[in-house]
Amino acid sequence: MAATTFTIRSSSGETRLPSLLVIEGDARRTVQVVRLPFEVGRKADKDLVFADPRVSRDHATFVVEENEYFLVDQKSRHGTYVNGNKISRQKLQRDDKIEFGVRDNMHVIFDPRPASGSSASLLLSQIASFKGNSSNDSTDLAKLTLFLDAARRLNSSGVLDEIIHTLIEATLRLTGAERGFVFLKQADGTLRIAAGMNAKSEEISDDATISQSILQDAMRANAAFMLTDTSQSGDMAMRQSVVAFDLRTVICIPLRGSSGSEVIGALYMDARYRARDFSTVSRDILQTIATEAAGLLEKARLVEAEEASRRAEQELSIAASIQQGLLTVNVPDVPFATLKARNFACKQVGGDFYDVVATPQSLGFVLADVSGKGVSAALLASTLQGMFFSHLKTGVPLCETLSTINSFLCAKSLSAKYATAVLVDLRADGEMEFVNCGHVAPVMVMNGKVLRPSEGCMPVGLIPTAEYTSMKLQLQPGDRMIIVTDGVTEAENVAGDFFDNLRLEEVVERGGSLEDILAAVDAFRGDHALTDDCTIIEVVYTGAGA
Amino acid sequence: MELKITSSREDGVAVLAADGRLVFGPEAALLRDEAKAALAESAKVVLDLRKVGYIDSGGLGTLVGLQTSAKSANAELKLANLSTRVIGLLQVTKLYTVFDVYESVETAVASFK
Repeated sequence: MAATTFTIRSSSGETRLPSLLVIEGDARRTVQVVRLPFEVGRKADKDLVFADPRVSRDHATFVVEENEYFLVDQKSRHGTYVNGNKISRQKLQRDDKIEFGVRDNMHVIFDPRPASGSSASLLLSQIASFKGNSSNDSTDLAKLTLFLDAARRLNSSGVLDEIIHTLIEATLRLTGAERGFVFLKQADGTLRIAAGMNAKSEEISDDATISQSILQDAMRANAAFMLTDTSQSGDMAMRQSVVAFDLRTVICIPLRGSSGSEVIGALYMDARYRARDFSTVSRDILQTIATEAAGLLEKARLVEAEEASRRAEQELSIAASIQQGLLTVNVPDVPFATLKARNFACKQVGGDFYDVVATPQSLGFVLADVSGKGVSAALLASTLQGMFFSHLKTGVPLCETLSTINSFLCAKSLSAKYATAVLVDLRADGEMEFVNCGHVAPVMVMNGKVLRPSEGCMPVGLIPTAEYTSMKLQLQPGDRMIIVTDGVTEAENVAGDFFDNLRLEEVVERGGSLEDILAAVDAFRGDHALTDDCTIIEVVYTGAGA
Repeated sequence: MELKITSSREDGVAVLAADGRLVFGPEAALLRDEAKAALAESAKVVLDLRKVGYIDSGGLGTLVGLQTSAKSANAELKLANLSTRVIGLLQVTKLYTVFDVYESVETAVASFK
């Protein structure tokens, strides 16, 4: 498996950054720790956010000391638990189980070890002690049951092949059959050979001598297994294999899914002895295999699917950290203004972005919100961020920048993917030029009064013929502009109300800063989780003479 | 799924009544599929948004996309019964002019005559 490793350098050397497996009910997700300290809590700006009210707003923090990880409880109301013990500060080991206040349906596994085939190998060595159907058949049956039990507990990757091989090996030994094959049903309904083996555990990949008609009959039959005496069979292919191998009996076991009805494959064996010589215990063994093996394969398939989704989540986590990197904007220092910005994504990756560029004469910045959510929005956001940055850097007029970006997006048939944005250029003399492209109107505070300039244009990427016109304002020292994305104005409380423009204006009116807006949104939404990314920019014009 | 769509016919005009939240994901996809099918069939479609309280950016994108594909197919899509919030959204995004908006399904249907 190609896994990316995240490391952090400090005075004490290089430390590998752990990942966290977050399990909430049936849902699992992997969160990559990308910085330290790594904070956990209910507040929206935490590195790991839980909406459950039993999680405190500032609940706990992961820290690293001397290359060891520690979890520090931040005086949380409902406590932090490691492996069931309440802790205030605890050194962490891989696979430690952590609970943040919630102890019934949510926990976190610290830096889980990657799944491997080791447990499957262990099983193989366990069943190596099988002696075949020799002296005591009932012991063999017990062993098979033991094997199936153990295999059912398997929780490992790449296990399907090993399960199939082990299954064939075990049943060959137990039944004394000559050859064994497992067939799995493909998406198109046909059976394809998954593995074949002879009694010497040698692989057989050629299934030409297998009686397809017996296989098909067994799949259609409603029986747990089918014994066919080939001397009675009219199948010519079978007669050929009878001659070649001196086989007399074909055993075919349809493998049924857990629902019991759907056949997911078949276990096919042929043997030298006659069907009627089959002992009662051997029939019991076949019965056991028939009922257990399919569930086993199904489980193995599930484990593999889960592993695939875990890998996908890891990829997503990498995408999130790349995007986090892009969103880490170094706000340049200019003598005439200060700019502060905060962004938090409600999903791992988000569609909000901002960027800031200082030229000798002005401070240019953009805040944008790409429609939709998730990876597709994040991809477009990254592209747009690059376009805005280069246009701002080279001093292209705002409206021209937007026309270019609009025609770029419209030409790419991105099925209604677009962005709303506010693009601003603040000059040292206080002249502010901006274009609102379908975005929440900026909040201006000029001479202590709150204004909402509602002039604006269409979003970029929707209408090819959209035209962009800018608006100009003359700022005085102390005047400020606040731009938010609709994740802020549409933050919902438990009652389903939006935070909305009025509450935003109220906070700004009483002099509230960016932090005050965040706090107000947090207080308003209470335990209701954010459903959209939130970004806020606040720029204060401090004056040219400063 | 937070959206339901009921379709009917009035005077040869297909009327799609949406009920719920028109948001990014399966909801927007449902509207797109239903409206595209209606546009292909009738060329005259009214989308009744009386029971749609909320449209997010994804839903808005879908509406614009439908409007564009209707135009290019020489069909007409009209919106009826917009809530205050949805009107506000169209005003903020300056997309009001992109759509043909009517107060009620009746006036929208009548406008085709």
